[in-house]
Amino acid sequence: MSTEKYNIKQEIETLREDCLRPTRTFNRTTQMWVGFLLMVMGWGLYCYIHQLGHGLGVTAMRDYVSWGLYISTFVFFIGISHSGTLVSAILRITKQEWRRPITRSAELLTFVSLLFGGIQPIIDLGHPERIGNLVLFGRVQSPLMWDVISILTYFTGSTVFLFLPMIPDMALCRDRLTVVDTRFKRFKKWLYTKMALGWQGTKSQWHRLEKTMTIMTIVIIPVAVSVHTVVSYIFAMTLRPGWNSTVFGIYFVVGALYSGSAGVILGMAAFRKFYHLEKYLTPRHFDLIGRIVLALTLFYAYLNMNEYWIPAYKMATAEGHLLRDLFYGDYSKVFWTLQFGTVLLPIIVMSFPKGRKITPLVIICIIIVIGAWIKRYLIVVPTMLHPFLPIQDVTTQWSDYFPNYVEFSVEAACVAGIFLVITIFSKLFPMMAVWEVEEGIQINHDNATAIELRKEREAEDAKTIEGLPISGDQSIKQQV
Amino acid sequence: MKIIKKTALAIIITGLLCNITFAQDEPKTSRKSEATIALSYYKKADMSRKSIATVKTKNKEGKFVPAINATVNFYVLNGNEQQLLKSASTDNKGKAEIEIQKVLPLGEDLSFTIVAKIEKENLYDDVEEQMHYKNANLSLNLNPHDTSRIATARVTEIDKDGKETPVKDVELKFYVKRLFGIMPAAEENTITTNENGEASFEFPKNVPGDTAGTISVAVRLEDNEQFGNLENSATTSWGTTLAIIKDPFPRALWGAHAPWGIIITLSLLFGGVWTTYFYIFLLIRNIKKEGDTLKQKTTT
Amino acid sequence: MKEDNIEDESKEAGRRNFLKFGALAAGLAVVGGGLQKAFSEEKETGEKVKVLNTSDGKVYEANTTNLRECNGPRISNEEARKGIPNKKFVMVIDEAKCDGCKKCTDACQEAHFIPPEREWIKVFKMKDSETTAPYFMPKPCFHCDSPLCVKVCPVGATFKRQDGIVLIDNERCIGCRSCMAACPYSTRFFNWSAPGPEEVAAVGNMPYSPERGLPRRMGTVEKCDFCPDMIRQGKMPHCVSGCPMDAIYFGDQNEDAVTNASGVTVKLSQLLEDNGGYRFLEELGTEPRVYYLSAKNRKYPIPDMKDINNVRKGTKPKNMDMENM
Repeated sequence: MSTEKYNIKQEIETLREDCLRPTRTFNRTTQMWVGFLLMVMGWGLYCYIHQLGHGLGVTAMRDYVSWGLYISTFVFFIGISHSGTLVSAILRITKQEWRRPITRSAELLTFVSLLFGGIQPIIDLGHPERIGNLVLFGRVQSPLMWDVISILTYFTGSTVFLFLPMIPDMALCRDRLTVVDTRFKRFKKWLYTKMALGWQGTKSQWHRLEKTMTIMTIVIIPVAVSVHTVVSYIFAMTLRPGWNSTVFGIYFVVGALYSGSAGVILGMAAFRKFYHLEKYLTPRHFDLIGRIVLALTLFYAYLNMNEYWIPAYKMATAEGHLLRDLFYGDYSKVFWTLQFGTVLLPIIVMSFPKGRKITPLVIICIIIVIGAWIKRYLIVVPTMLHPFLPIQDVTTQWSDYFPNYVEFSVEAACVAGIFLVITIFSKLFPMMAVWEVEEGIQINHDNATAIELRKEREAEDAKTIEGLPISGDQSIKQQV
Repeated sequence: MKIIKKTALAIIITGLLCNITFAQDEPKTSRKSEATIALSYYKKADMSRKSIATVKTKNKEGKFVPAINATVNFYVLNGNEQQLLKSASTDNKGKAEIEIQKVLPLGEDLSFTIVAKIEKENLYDDVEEQMHYKNANLSLNLNPHDTSRIATARVTEIDKDGKETPVKDVELKFYVKRLFGIMPAAEENTITTNENGEASFEFPKNVPGDTAGTISVAVRLEDNEQFGNLENSATTSWGTTLAIIKDPFPRALWGAHAPWGIIITLSLLFGGVWTTYFYIFLLIRNIKKEGDTLKQKTTT
Repeated sequence: MKEDNIEDESKEAGRRNFLKFGALAAGLAVVGGGLQKAFSEEKETGEKVKVLNTSDGKVYEANTTNLRECNGPRISNEEARKGIPNKKFVMVIDEAKCDGCKKCTDACQEAHFIPPEREWIKVFKMKDSETTAPYFMPKPCFHCDSPLCVKVCPVGATFKRQDGIVLIDNERCIGCRSCMAACPYSTRFFNWSAPGPEEVAAVGNMPYSPERGLPRRMGTVEKCDFCPDMIRQGKMPHCVSGCPMDAIYFGDQNEDAVTNASGVTVKLSQLLEDNGGYRFLEELGTEPRVYYLSAKNRKYPIPDMKDINNVRKGTKPKNMDMENM
C-alpha cells in the first residue's frame, strides 16, 4: 500500500463502528417509516380477513382465471429469493473476494422474500385453516406438495445460511453492547447472547464454523435450484398451452436469478445510501455484480427465445391462440414492453462500463425487478384465459381478469412486510458480515505486506542477479 | 328465461282460445288446454301389473308436448259400472302410472277394460281413453344345464277359470337386462311363437355378465293388441365373466398411493439434504457447547 | 348402517323431508343380505324399487317396506371414495342429436342448486375450422382415467374411484385450485362465495357426502360428478334423463351398454363403431370416460355461430371462432 505505516487495527475498528452504528439508532425517520409500513400491513391484513370471511370471491379471480396476482407474486418472491444463494453461495464457492460486503444483505433478501413468497399460496387458499391436511393426507404426487417440501427445505437452509455467518458478528454485538448502546438494551443483550451461541472465537470454533459454512454453501445451491424448478412445475405439469413446456424449470430458475441478483443490487444501493457504507460498497462492487446481472439477463433472453420462438414457429392451435394474444393481441403491449424494456434495454445499458455505474445500474435493476413481477403475471394469467375449450356465454367479469383492490392491498402488505423485516433486521444486526470484511482487510493487508516484502527482496535480488525476470509477482497481484 | 316466458305465453294463449266459456265461470280454469291420453298396460314376471297413461298437449306451434302435472283417474269397467282404481299425476314426461292390485273383472270377450280420465282438472280439458286387454301369461324357461343357450318363452291366454291356452303367432322379443334399461340380446331378437305358444331364442355368447357371468334375460310381448305388454325374466350364467380387478387402486400418479419411483426419488433428494442439515445442526450445537464450556471456565 | 343413525333420525325435520324425497336412496344403506331377502319375498306390499347394491355392484329389486331409512351420511366417506365395484361408468354424447337446447344444463343446475355462472355440463357451440361445419358439444366432466386434476391434488381431496368417477371431497379440499389449473377442459369450478340463501334453505341441513357435493362449502372446488347419488338409486344422471333429444347416453362400460333418456339401451361398442365415436382431444392422453358421436346426419339445424359470445379468441384467423385442439 502506501508509504505511510498501514494501520490495520485502526481500519478494522472503523469498520466495526460503521457496521454497528445503524443498529444503535432508531430515529424519527425510521420510526415514521416503520409506522407507515405497519399501516400498509394493517390495511392488507384487514383485506385478507375480509377475504377469509367472504371467500376468494372478493378478489377479481373467477373460474377461468383461478390463479391470479397471488400466484404470480408467489413465483416472483420465490424468484427474488434466489439472490442470496447466487451471490452468497456461488461467490463464496468461487472465493470471490469482492463478495464480502454483499453476502449479508443478499442472504437476508433470500430469507425475507422466501418468508413472504412462501405464504402467498396460503393467502391464495380457499381453506387456509385446512393447511394441516397437507400433513394428514399429503400426496407426494402433487407438484404443490413438492413446492411445500422444497420451499420448507430451502427456507430452513437459507435461515441457517443467514444465521451461520452472523454468529461471530453476534458475539461482537454482544461484547460491544454494554459499552455504548442504550435502546432496548436488555432485549438486545438477551438476543445477541442467545444468537452468539457462546462464540469466543477460538480456533476450533472457527474451524467448525468454516466447515458448516462450506457444507451449507454447497448444499444450498441445488436446493435453491430445486425450489424454483418445482415452482415452475405447478404450471409445467399441466397440459395448458403456454405452461406445457419443457424449458419451464430452467426458465424459472434463470428468471429467478436474473430478478434476484437485480434485487441484491437494489438492497446494496439502499444500505449503502441509508447506512453510509460507501466506503465498503464501492462502485467496483456494483460494476462486478452488474456484470453478473448482465450475464444472467443474456441467459434469460436466450431462454425467452426458447420459450416463445419454438412454439411460435409451429403455432399449434391452442398454443397459437395464446401466442397471438401475446404477440399482437390484448397482452402484446405489455409483452413487448417487457421484452424490450426489461431484457433488451438492460443488456444494452449494462454492456457499457458507464451503464454499470451505480445510478444507471439501480435504475435498470428497478426496471428488471418490476418487470420480473409483471412477467410472472404474464406467465400465469394469459394461459388461464386460453383454455382448450372456448370461453363462451360468460360475463366479462368471469372471463377477464385484472387484480382488484383486495389483491393489491394484500400484496402491498407483503411488500411492506418485506421492508419491515429488513428494516428491523438492519436495526438489530449489522448489514455486512463484519468478520468477513475484516478477513478481507486482513487478507489485503497480508498480501500488501507480502508484496512489500517481495519488492524488498526483489530489490535485493536485483542487486545480486541483474536482469532476471521475476515470475511470482504476477500471481500475487491477481490475488489482490 | 326466454323459454319460460314463451311457454307461459303459449299456455295462456291456447287457454284463452279454447276456454273462453269456462273463463267466465271460473277464472282459475281459464288456462285449460287440450290433452290426449295414450294408455298402456304392463304385466311383469312377478304378476305385478301397471297401467300407464301418457298425456300430451299441444304447444303454441301445434307440436305435441308432454302434459305435466295432470291428474289422471283410472277406472275399471265392471259390467257397465266404472270403479275407480287409483289416481295419479303425470310427471315431467307426461306419464301417470298406477299399480293394479285387485283382480280385474272380465267382460264377455274375456277382456278387462281400463278407463283413464282427466276430469275437472285445473290445467287440462276433460278427456278419456279406454283399453281392453285379455289376461295372459308369459313364461320364460332357461335350462341352466343346457349348453346350447336356448331361451324358451311361452305365451298362454288365461280364461275366467284360470285355464291356459297357448297363443300362437305373436312376436316375442328377447332382451338382456343392463344397469339402466334392457338391451336387445341380439340384433335380431324377435321370435314368433309356434302352435304351442312357444318361441325359442339362441342366446349369443358375447354378452358381458357380472363377475360370475350372471345375466338377467328378459322376454317381452310388446304392444300386443290383445294382451298389452307382458314381460318375464330369469337369471342365468350365460354372460361372459367380468375379470375382477385385483387392485382397483394401484400405486399411480392419480392414485391415493404414490408410485415407488416418486417416493424413492423424493426421499433420496430431500432425505440427503435434510441429513446434511442435521449434521450442520450438530456442528452448530458443538460450537455452542464449546462456547458454553469456555464461559464456565472463565467464570469459575 | 349403524343403529345409532336411526336414533338421530328425528332431529331435524328438514333432513327428514329430504330423506322422503330420497326414499330409494335410503335403501342403499341396507346391507346386501337384507336386500336379497327382500328380493325373495315377493308377497310384500309396497313399491318395488331397483337398488344398486354397493357391496357387489349388482342391481336388486327390493320392496320399499324392507328398506330402512337411515340418517347421517348415508354413504360413508370411505365408501364414496371407493365407488361401486365392478362398474365403469361411461357417457356417450351424440352430436348429431344435440340441438343445443341446454335442457341437460338446466336439469343439472336445478338438481345440484348450481349458480348460473358455472355450468357443470356446458353446451358449447363448436366450429373446428373455417371450413368445417359447426356443431353443439355438451361438455360434462370427462372423468378421465388418467386425471390430471387428481394427480396434482396435494391432499387427495379429489380422487378417482374404481367405478371411474372422479369426485371431490369438499370437506378435505384446501382450495388451492391446482386441479382447476390442471384440468384441460375447464371443467372445475370454485366456490368463490358462500352459497346463496335459497340453496342453504334447501340443502343446508343435509349431511355432507362427496357423492352429492352438497351442502356447498365456500372455498372449495366442485364439478360434474356423474350423479353417483342417482346411480346408487338405479337412476341415470340428471343431464341424461333431462335430454329431450336422447342425445346423451349413460351406462356401464363393463356391461357394454348405454341408455338414453327414453330408456333405449344400446350396445356401447356398436354405438361407437356405427357413429364415429371419439373422445375430445384424445391426444392429451387423459383417457376421458365421455365419448362423442360425430355430428353426422344431424337432426337439427346447424348452430348459428354469429350470435356467439366467444369472449376470448385468437386474433387470427378472423372467422375461426372456436379455438380448441
